[in-house]
Order: sequence, then C-alpha cells, then structure tokens
Amino acid sequence: MERFDAIVVGAGNGGLTAAAGLAQKGLKVLLLERHNIPGGCATSFCRGRFEFEVALHQLSGMGSPEKPGPLRMALESLGVLDHVEPIEMTDLYSVLMPDGFRLALKAEKEATVLLLQERFPAERDAVEKFFDLCYRFANELISAFYFKDPDTSRDKYPVLYEYAFKPACEVLEGFFKDRLLKAVLSVYWGYIGLPPTRMSFAYLALLFFTYMEFKPYHFKGGSQALSNALIHRFLSNGGTVRFNCGVEKILVQEGRVRGVLTEHGDRYEADHVVSNVSQILTYVELMEPEHVPGGVFREMRGRSLSPSAFTLFIGLDCEPGAVGITETTNFLLDNLDFSDRVLNQMQALDIEDQLLVLSCYDVADPEFSPSGACQLNLVTLKYGEAWLRVPPTRYFETKYRVAESMMRRVEDIFPGVRAHVEELDVATPMTHMRYLGHPFGAIYGWEMYPKDTMFFQPGRLSPIEGLYFASGWSGDCGFQPTLEAGMSAANAIYQKISGE
Amino acid sequence: MEKRVYEDFDGYDEMVKEIEVSRKYGVNHSAATHEADQYIRLLHPARLKLEVADIRDISPTTKLFRLVSRDRYLPPFQPGQYIALHVEAEGIRTARPYSICSSPNQTAFYEIAVRRVPGGLVSNHLLDRVERGTQLEASGPAGNFYFNPLFHDPTMVLVAGGSGVTPFRSMVLETLESALDRTIHLFYGSKTAEELLFHDEFLDLSDKYERFHYIPVLEEPPAGSTGAEGFIKGTTVLDAVGDVEGRTFYLCGPRAMYDFCIPELEALGVRRRKIRTEVYGAPLKVWETPGWPASVKPGDTFRVSLEGGGAFETRAAEPLLSAMERAGILVPSLCRSGECSMCRIRVVDGRVFQPPGVPVRKSDRRFGYVHSCVTYALEDLRIAF
Repeated sequence: MERFDAIVVGAGNGGLTAAAGLAQKGLKVLLLERHNIPGGCATSFCRGRFEFEVALHQLSGMGSPEKPGPLRMALESLGVLDHVEPIEMTDLYSVLMPDGFRLALKAEKEATVLLLQERFPAERDAVEKFFDLCYRFANELISAFYFKDPDTSRDKYPVLYEYAFKPACEVLEGFFKDRLLKAVLSVYWGYIGLPPTRMSFAYLALLFFTYMEFKPYHFKGGSQALSNALIHRFLSNGGTVRFNCGVEKILVQEGRVRGVLTEHGDRYEADHVVSNVSQILTYVELMEPEHVPGGVFREMRGRSLSPSAFTLFIGLDCEPGAVGITETTNFLLDNLDFSDRVLNQMQALDIEDQLLVLSCYDVADPEFSPSGACQLNLVTLKYGEAWLRVPPTRYFETKYRVAESMMRRVEDIFPGVRAHVEELDVATPMTHMRYLGHPFGAIYGWEMYPKDTMFFQPGRLSPIEGLYFASGWSGDCGFQPTLEAGMSAANAIYQKISGE
Repeated sequence: MEKRVYEDFDGYDEMVKEIEVSRKYGVNHSAATHEADQYIRLLHPARLKLEVADIRDISPTTKLFRLVSRDRYLPPFQPGQYIALHVEAEGIRTARPYSICSSPNQTAFYEIAVRRVPGGLVSNHLLDRVERGTQLEASGPAGNFYFNPLFHDPTMVLVAGGSGVTPFRSMVLETLESALDRTIHLFYGSKTAEELLFHDEFLDLSDKYERFHYIPVLEEPPAGSTGAEGFIKGTTVLDAVGDVEGRTFYLCGPRAMYDFCIPELEALGVRRRKIRTEVYGAPLKVWETPGWPASVKPGDTFRVSLEGGGAFETRAAEPLLSAMERAGILVPSLCRSGECSMCRIRVVDGRVFQPPGVPVRKSDRRFGYVHSCVTYALEDLRIAF
C-alpha cells in the first residue's frame, strides 16, 4: 500500500490549491479526481468552434501587479501566475430592463458614485453614504479579523458591530427610497444565492469593496486555464494525480484518518486527507456511519442547500456589439420586486421574471471566442428539487421549454440575438448535480443566511483527526473563497506535520 | 472559554436562537442526496447492461442489432445520439460509438446498425461473434447531434452517406410518430442501391407522410434508373428543398462527404451555423491529412512510455488510444472522434500529430493534453494520464 503525506479528494478549486500548496512545501501528495479533467466548476467544454466557460463570471480579489489583492498574492505564492494570463474587466456590471433602462457601473468607487448620483439626483447623499458604509464595513472586518486585531471594541469598529448580521434589504431600505436604485444595487445577490431580503449585508458590502478595489478579473482561456495551471504546478513539484479515479471511502480508525480506498479498489495511506467534496457526501457516502461523530449531522441539519442554476451556453456568429452587448457582466432585470417572492421564483421549474445574469467574456477579451464570434453565459438560480418531479421521459422537452422562456427574456433586451446563434447548450440543476456531485446541484454549497455567514461556519476542520475540508461547503462559496480554502487547508496540514 | 469578538455584535443572540431552531426543525440532507442521485441514474446511467434480443440482415454488409436492457431500464435519448458499445475483440478491450437508430418514443429496446468495415476490429466482432442472447455493455446515450428547438429550423435537411443514415432514422421516426411540426428532407448517398439501409421503410414513410421527403442518391445507379446519381450536389438539394433559407442542414457520413457537401451547401448561401455535422470516427488515412509530416510513414513504429512505468509500441497511423488498448491499458472513451474529450491524456515528451479542427481546450493545448483517439505518435513518446 503506497503511503503519502497527504491525499486530496477532488480536483475542484479547493482541492487544487490544497494539493499545489502541499506539494510546493515538499510533501508527498496524491490528488484523486473522479473526472478526466481538473477544475470541478472551474472548467470549460467545447462545442463546435467554441470553448464555453462553465462557471467563472467575475473573479474577485485579484488586483493588479501594482496593487495585488489577496488572491493574486496567494496564486503568486503557488507560482501559478507565470502560467495564466489574468484579464481585468473595467466594468463592474450593467443593469438592463426590457423598458430600455440601461445603467453600466464602473469598477471604481468614485466613478460609480458620480454616475448613480447623476441618475438618481434625489438620492445624492444616500448614494455616497451607502458606498462609504460598504467600504467602512469591509475595512473594519479586514482589520478586526484578517489582520487579527487583539483588541477589538465597539468604539473601534462601530460599523462592524452594528451591521454584521443585518440583511442587505434592511440596509438598502434604510438608505434609499427609489425602488429602481435599490434593485440596481442589490443584483449581486445572484452571486450569493439568496435574495436581498435574506442575504447578509456583509456579503453585499464585501462584494462592492473587493470588486471596486481589486477589480473583477477573468483568465485567458477561462477558468480551465487556472485549473490546468494549478495541476501543472502540482506536477512540477512532484505531486501525483489520478484522473478517472473516484474515492470510494475515506478510511478512519479510532477517530483518525488513515487513508482512502478508490473506486478501482486501490488503497492509499495518509494521516491527512483533504476533502474537496461536500460535507454531506463526505460523511454520508465516503465514511462508515460508525466513524462519523453525531455532532456533524446535528450541525448540518441546521443548514439548507443553496440553489442550483439553469444555464445557457450560447455561441454567436457575431461580435458582441452586433447584438447590442457592450459590457461583460449584464444583469437582466424584469421588475423591481424586492420581496421573498424571489425565493418562490427560484423554487419554480419555469423561468418567468426572475433575475438573469448574462456574461459575455469577449467584451473584456476579444480573443475569448474565435475571431468574429462571441459567447454568452446566461444563468439564473433555481433550486434543484423541482427537477426531480419531471419524469425522465419528459426531461429534454422540459429543459427546452424552460430554456426557450429564458431566450425570450434575452431577446426582450437584445433583439435579434437568436438569428446569430451558432451553438447553444443547456445545463439544468440536474446537469450541475451530475458533474459536481452536489446534492440537488447546489452550486453555492450551504445557503448563506446571516446565521450561516463567516462567523458561524464549521470551516475546514472536522472532528475526525486528520480530515480537512476545502470547498465551497466549508466556508464562503465562489472562486476566491474556495481557492483560499485550499490554501489554508494546506497550511494547516503543513504546520501540523512540521510541528510533529 | 474566551468570548469571541462577534458575540458582542448587534443581533448575535437572535442568530444563536435561529441556529438552534434550524437544527431542531432542519432536514436530514443524506436522504436528499440519494433521491437526486437516483434521478441522475435514470437519465445518465454510468453503464448499460444490454442483451442482444434480435439480429437482422438489412443489407449485404449490414446487420441491425436490437438491444434490450438486462436490468429492464433504458434511459431516454435525443434522436441522433449514440451509445458506445464496450467489447473485447481479439483479446483487446475497446469501445465504439453507434448511433441509436430506433425511435425515442419507446425505450423497450435500442437498435443499432453495424456495417462490416474491412479490417474493422469491433464491427467484425459484432457481425461474426455476437448472437442473440449475447450480453454487452454500453455507455449511456451521448453526443450533440440532435434537433435543438431553440435555434434549429423546423425544416430539416438531412444528408446521409452510407451507414451515416442511422441517426436520421431515429429523427424521422420521432417526427412522424409524434406528428411534430417539422418537415424533413432526407438525402441519402450510397454507392449502390443494395447498400441503402432502411430504403423500403423510408420509401413507405415518404408515401404515407407529406412532411417527409426521401431522396436516395446513388453513385453507381442500376441501368435505367431515373433517380439522382453521383454525389449529393448543391443543385440536387436546391431542386428538392426549394430555398435554403429557414432550413437547418444535418450531415452524417464519411469525411469525404463533408469535404464535398459543405462547400456545395455554402455555395448555395447556406450559413455555417445552419450546418450541423456528426462526428464520424478518426480519419481513415490520417497520413493524407494536411500537415502530416512527409518524413513519417504510416507504418513507422515508435515506443511510448508511461509516466509511472510501462511502455508499448505504436504505429504512426494508429491513434494513441487504440495503441493503449492493444497494450491492455484502459482509458475511458466515448465518441472516439476527438469531440468529447473523454480520452484526454497528457503528452509529456515527444511530437504528436493532431488533425486540424479537433476541439481541444486552449489551455489543454498549452499544457500538452490531447484527445488520444485522434492523436498520433510522430516519434518516441512519454505520456501520462
């Protein structure tokens, strides 16, 4: 039986940075992935002459070489930046409505404040104060927690103490009267998975702060390029990777991890295992019940599954401008409803008037698709459960029916887009479930109600000694958090091993 | 125990209460996992366990295999999709994709048609060794060659060459049986009349249904024949379909047919996005592909060593995937035409040939990953997978 210092289960974002980090420190590491390609969500697929980006819309935390953000520094430390080309997006996002409303915000605080003040003169002061609040919140959070201030107090961090657990909606309602403005400022809920009524203000503030300070980014070749670069670094540092090799069991003995058993019947030994798989699957499928401490199920009972997504991947035989697309990130808004009705929309099978996000990477990177063509990644959030009620024999027609209503929403905003479609593929929550293995295709892991936010997450630790988690299930979800989760799991293991 | 900073934040007590309540009334997520998993299996089973229920000769070189499921369930599919049959032929474990040619309106059985290919490892095995009752394994239905109602036109122009007609039979049957609001023109190119598959069935259906037009085109027509002859030309198509606007064209057949028909269609003004082509295996004579280095002869042999130990021989003209299978190395595969990326491996060292137009991800190219079903050694290699 071959022995490793650490075994990483799953080559998604968290698994990749965990593996790359551990190998870089000179440890003997095995990375196991059930698919034939690394990345998990961070991947792409080819159709015709297009290579479609699957999941990455706007990468946060990168920053420029002159003003690096935390993620750039982390990737730099792994030696990955020599092997990827980050692309900066200058626009923050654009909001578009079928009545002709268009507003494009810039990834720059002063410019966005001015633009909004011009558009909503009655809310002049509130606009400025709102963004100041977001920035103060983010700065206070960073100095109190990121830099671990040993001496925190309400006097020192008044905004943090007051706003940490408030829902976004309550804060927006307190600042603004204009319903349109509130809607424009809350569209990032789509990146978190809960409507403004339920989403924590902390995340809205952090998103504005990080995208404005460190700009939204993408990569040449999409997120697959990052995944491949991470594997490249891992292999260069002597790591061993097995694709097409799912893990059947994580072996536990007397409360501590001993290794893994693969689907092909091979056993590998290690005292440290990083699970890039959801806690649910890790505890339910990968372990014998007698090894799972009861507390973990109690903890999980208190959580709920995030929505999955319904996604269209569209290849157009024209440049973005030819159909009126001028920004990379576009939120298509159909109404200004600000209530819990959004939750009902996400539970329904069909798409009516809910928020859609349309990313056209070619705006920021004209080489993303073949010359003279462009691609759209069109997403809306949907809970997976409704799809279990569709008889398998009606699955395809249902998928096309829902996709058709989504296409109509796009045509309301960009008429004539359909005449340029060269490729079009549809992913339902079941597709996400199939490829990610997440229960009900939940793309954001656990839901992030204020009671589930950063302060209340179990994080990378497990009561089972030697087991670590690194994924969108162990903390915040999204590219930056999952990539960082893998880094911290690697650091924790390294410290443990070097301490021994 | 030391108090944590956030315990003093406004609203902390409510958060704690909410967490307690959620844990009390929350759900057991393990059940959810199983339910959803079960549903995925109904759509995309990892493996189909099949049995041959019937075999019928449908041309001098072709047999129709009717396959039923040993566990009594076959997943739904979209007409035009294929399954990959896994077989052990002459001691080699390998797989080949076959389009499902039966109607999707029933999944009591799938039908596939297998034509004899000179020297064809799997086709000969299926034609000569497999009989009624033989058990086979296959992938679930796969592939991207099907009618997409989101942007395809309801008037479908199907252009088939040889056994490339198989996915079209499924499309035709679905359209007519379900009375879908579509019109189909099927152009079927074949060398001889006796090699036309499903000819009588298509004739019969075109008599019965106005929305289905069947136009066989023979390279070697019998004396006195009045039908279309030669290759499927642009003018033949235009004569039958009237106008190229508002039609989507589907091509399935050997590469030579695409090389001939696509320019013909484009000359009629058909836009590239209106032409859908099905993958049709690796090139037969890869050394005739543009870009193949003249210094390498098809029969040249090279040594391929594997990272982590082991080595095997390959011929230049042989896809790496086939060479690996001959050496007993199992690599997952599906389309075996370069499209699906299932057989992705990494070339660590050495020059290889990949025909132009194979859809390999940009970053895969950068780091040396190839689709081994359409990758050929041009010198000694080192590979990893």
